[in-house]
Amino acid sequence: MRVARRARWIGPVVLLLVALGLSAHAEIPLADYEAVLLAIPVSDLGHVLGAIEFGLSQPDFPAFETMQYLDRLAASRYSAQEREALLSDIVVALEEGLPIEGLVTKGLEGLARGVPAAGIQQSLHQRLVLLAETRDLLYAKGIFSVAPGSPQSVDTALPTPRFNLLVTHISDTIADYLEGGGSPFEGQTLMQEVRFRLTSLEGAILNATDVELVLKRIEPADLTRVALSAVS
Amino acid sequence: MYRVQDEVSLLRASLEGETEAWGEIISRYKDAVFGLCLGFLRNRADAEDITHDAFIRAYVNLRRYNLEKRFSTWMFTIAANLCRNRLRYRRNHPVAELPAQIRGGTDPAKIVAADDRHAAIREALSKLPYGYRAPLVLRYYNDLPYREIAEILAIPEGTVKTRIHRGKAMLKQRMEERDPA
Amino acid sequence: MKPIDIDDVLRSALRQEVAETAAGLDGLEERIVLELGERRPRLRVGEWMRQLIAPTRSGRIGQLSLVGATAAVCLLIGFFAATRFSLDGGSPAIRLEPSRNADGTQEVLFVLPALDANEVSVVGNFNSWEPTTLSDEDNDGIWTASIPLPPGRYEYAFVIDGRWWGQDPLADEYVHSFGEYSSVRYIGGGDGA
Repeated sequence: MRVARRARWIGPVVLLLVALGLSAHAEIPLADYEAVLLAIPVSDLGHVLGAIEFGLSQPDFPAFETMQYLDRLAASRYSAQEREALLSDIVVALEEGLPIEGLVTKGLEGLARGVPAAGIQQSLHQRLVLLAETRDLLYAKGIFSVAPGSPQSVDTALPTPRFNLLVTHISDTIADYLEGGGSPFEGQTLMQEVRFRLTSLEGAILNATDVELVLKRIEPADLTRVALSAVS
Repeated sequence: MYRVQDEVSLLRASLEGETEAWGEIISRYKDAVFGLCLGFLRNRADAEDITHDAFIRAYVNLRRYNLEKRFSTWMFTIAANLCRNRLRYRRNHPVAELPAQIRGGTDPAKIVAADDRHAAIREALSKLPYGYRAPLVLRYYNDLPYREIAEILAIPEGTVKTRIHRGKAMLKQRMEERDPA
Repeated sequence: MKPIDIDDVLRSALRQEVAETAAGLDGLEERIVLELGERRPRLRVGEWMRQLIAPTRSGRIGQLSLVGATAAVCLLIGFFAATRFSLDGGSPAIRLEPSRNADGTQEVLFVLPALDANEVSVVGNFNSWEPTTLSDEDNDGIWTASIPLPPGRYEYAFVIDGRWWGQDPLADEYVHSFGEYSSVRYIGGGDGA
C-alpha cells in the first residue's frame, strides 16, 4: 500500500487556519480535540491535529464518534505507546482522505470489549489497507468522487459522501469476511457478500443507482485482489 | 368495484378483531403471496413458512396499514421483506433448492418441449442473483406494474426496468447455453 | 433451439411451479384463524436453538454458547409467559416491527428473554458501544428497549450481567468481531415489515 507522509510544517499552518475560523464542524471546536490529544498523550500533536483538521473539512466527518474514541483512549488502561498505535491508522486514513467512520466504530467496539491493543490495531490496520485498496479499485473502474454541489462531469462521478459510503461498506464487508476466517481466493463468495451488503442498504443509506453502478463494474477477481492486499 | 369495496370492509372487520374476515383475505391472497415467496426463495418449505408468517405479521400490524393505499402492495412488501430475512438466514444455513422438475422418473423421450423449457427456465431462475430474480417474479408471476414493484422492493422504477431487462437476458443466455440451437 | 419468447415461458413456468407445490396452502386460512384466535405466535425455536448453541468458529463451545442456551430456554419460557397475558386485538404482547418517527428514525425494538438476569443492556455501533439499558418492568423475564434509529446497518450485542452475547435471534445477520459473534440489523427500506 502506498501512503504519503504529511510534512511536519502543516501542523502550525493548520492551527493558523483554525484561528481564522475555517473549521467546518463548529459543534466540536478543534481546541477540544487538541485537549484530548494532549491527554492521551500523542507524541506529535501538530501532526495528528493537522490530520483531524483535514478530516474536519469533509462533510461526512464523524465528529462525535471520533471525539468519543479519543476520550476513551485517553481514559483507557493501555500504555501511551499502545494508545498511539490505536490512533496511527486513523491518522493515516485522515491524511489520505479516506472515510474513517468504519475505523472509529471498530476502535470503539474493541475498547468496549476490552480487546488487547494489538488485536484492535491489527483490525484497524487491515481495514485501513482495505479502505485504500477499495478506493483504488473504484477509481480503476472509472468511479470517482467530486465535491458535493459541483456539477458531475460524468455519470460515474459521485458526490464524496456517497462515494465514501461505497468505499466504507465494500471494504467493511471484505474486512468482516476475512476476520471471520474467509479465504480471499473465494472471489465468488466475496462478490456475494458485497452484493448482499450493498443491496441490503439500498434505499436506506445507499443510492440504488450507485449500488447498481458498482455491482455492474466490479468482479470477483477484483475483490480477491483487494482482499489479498490486506493479508499479504 | 364491488370486489374492491368488499376488500375494504373485510379489512375493517379484521381491524375490529374479526379473524374470520382475515381468513377471507388470506384465501384471496395466498396463491399470490406463496408464488412470490416461492419465486424469491426457490424452496418450498421456506415459501410455505414465509407465506404463513406474512399473513400473521400483516394481521398483527394491520393498524399501521393505511386503508386508502393499495392493500396488495402492502401485503407483498411484508412478504418480500420476510423473504429477504429468510434468505439472509439461509446464507449461513443452506438447504437444497427446488429441483427443476417436481415430477420424478421421467422418460427423456417423453419430455415435451414446453416442459423442457419450463424446467430450464426454472433452473436458470434459481441461479439468478436475488436482485434480478425478485423483480422478475413480481412482474411475471404477480403481474405487477413497474411502479408497484419499485415500491415493494424499495428501489427506483428505472432500476426495476433495468434489472428485469438484464435478468431476462441472463435467463435467455443460460437457456441457450444449456440447449444451443 | 427454436427462438423462445422469454416472457411467455417465464410466466407459464412460474405458474406451473406454484401449481405443483401449492398443496401446502390447503387450509392455510383456517389454520391461521385458529392460531390468531389462540393468540399464541408460532415458534420455530428448534432452528434458533441449534444456532444459539453452535460452537464458535474455533470449535469451542464456550461460555457464550451456554449463555445462549440459557437465553434460548428463557426465550421459550418467556414467550409462553408473555402470550398468556397478551392483550386485545389479537396482537401478540411484543411488537417486533419498527414504527416510523417524524424525523425519519424508526423505533427499533430490542428484545431479550433473560429470566435470571439482573441487568441487561445493548451495545452497538449506534450508541458507540456504550450500554443502553433494557428494562423489564413487569418482571416477566422479557427485557426490552426501544431505540430510535435512522436507516442503516447496525452491529450490536447484548450485555447480560456483564457478559457479552451477540446471537440475537431477531438479528438479520451475524458477524465475527474480535473472535466473538455480533448481531446485525438492517433498518430502512420499504414500508411494512
